[in-house]
Amino acid sequence: MARITAGVATSHVPAIGAAIDLGKTKDAYWQPVFAGYDWSRQWIAGEKPDVVILVYNDHASAFDMKIIPTFAIGCAESFKPADEGWGPRPVPTVEGHPDLAWHIAQSCILDEFDMTIINEMEVDHGLTVPLSLLFGQPDAWPVKVIPLAVNVVTYPPPSGNRCWLLGEAIRRAVESFPGDLKVQVWGTGGMSHQLQGPRAGLINAEWDNRFLDMMSQDSQRLRSIPHIEYLRETGSEGIEMVMWLIMRGALGSEVRQLHRHYHVPASNTAVGHLVLEPVA
Amino acid sequence: MSHLDIHSYLAAFDDIPGTRVYTVARARKGYWINQFAMSLMKPENRARWKADETAYLEGWNLDDDQKAAILARDYNRLLDLGGNIYFLAKIFSTDGLSFLQAVSTMTGMSVEDYQAMMLAGGRSPNGVRSIKEGN
Ligand SMILES: [Fe+2]
Repeated sequence: MARITAGVATSHVPAIGAAIDLGKTKDAYWQPVFAGYDWSRQWIAGEKPDVVILVYNDHASAFDMKIIPTFAIGCAESFKPADEGWGPRPVPTVEGHPDLAWHIAQSCILDEFDMTIINEMEVDHGLTVPLSLLFGQPDAWPVKVIPLAVNVVTYPPPSGNRCWLLGEAIRRAVESFPGDLKVQVWGTGGMSHQLQGPRAGLINAEWDNRFLDMMSQDSQRLRSIPHIEYLRETGSEGIEMVMWLIMRGALGSEVRQLHRHYHVPASNTAVGHLVLEPVA
Repeated sequence: MSHLDIHSYLAAFDDIPGTRVYTVARARKGYWINQFAMSLMKPENRARWKADETAYLEGWNLDDDQKAAILARDYNRLLDLGGNIYFLAKIFSTDGLSFLQAVSTMTGMSVEDYQAMMLAGGRSPNGVRSIKEGN
């Protein structure tokens, strides 16, 4: 039986990708951002997951305004890095896991989550920056990846509770997949940031840290945080944190926090990172 | 979960200072701004855009206000006209600007002052949560 062995949460700031690609990770500005991932890189090298279900949002790369899927699952064999306006990131092509992806898609639809199925897609920084943070700069990613793209750009995005419930459905899907796979679920994006308007640059370290606490301690309360609270307290782009709840919902009722990191700033954004493990 | 009232859900967004939430109303208004911006993801389109911006805009269903705001790189105005920041990012990326540089232009601060604010922990949410509450 396939099983979910861990969850990872991380910001996916594009400037972090640029810092890695340009060899700036040891610069004074970037060093404290990356130092918080040292533990996680060692940990994941030992864990060797077979598949990562990587929850992220597309930033006007694969999806333009023609089609806006709320939950889209990538079922392709592979996914190329997108050209976001300055050429594609120099990172390996992302290898998918079509067997598991199609299984999850079917299972979730039967479970009343009407997933959009994507057979051809390029993936942007939302997906590739987390891979770089956890795996560095390998010639090939050491894991298969199932992209799960969530609309958090055009309002309304899905509610936190809906994200949590999708996470639970994903867990049921994974556990009904024949084959012995170690699967991780990653929730990416956030934490507080606002990239637009006169209020841009907003950071709310207190709120972010409460959110990090609640991921392992009082997680049921996370489900009912309304969109307006994310907007007011964490900036217009802080809404990305609803995607962490898909990961959290997939881990079950109790988790152990293995690692935690928080740093301000990376470009306009507060960087948050957690490694969680389900408690059986 | 209790059912949300869509009208109060949307109305609350207008109570956030200095913020344009990308609602369906904005998305409909700015559809072609965003689709134009999206076209700059292709290198051949970037080359045509750089060669003659005004001529490039003629190919899109944009009104004069929208064209003027694009040419002026007036990002706050573009948000009002229905632009979304992730789409607008294709314009400033093509200009060679980072998110930080482009975002600072919307705040009335210099890039240096904005950068210094971020290094000092960012903009505090105090006083900018709600127009009505003034908190
Ligand atoms: Fe993002």
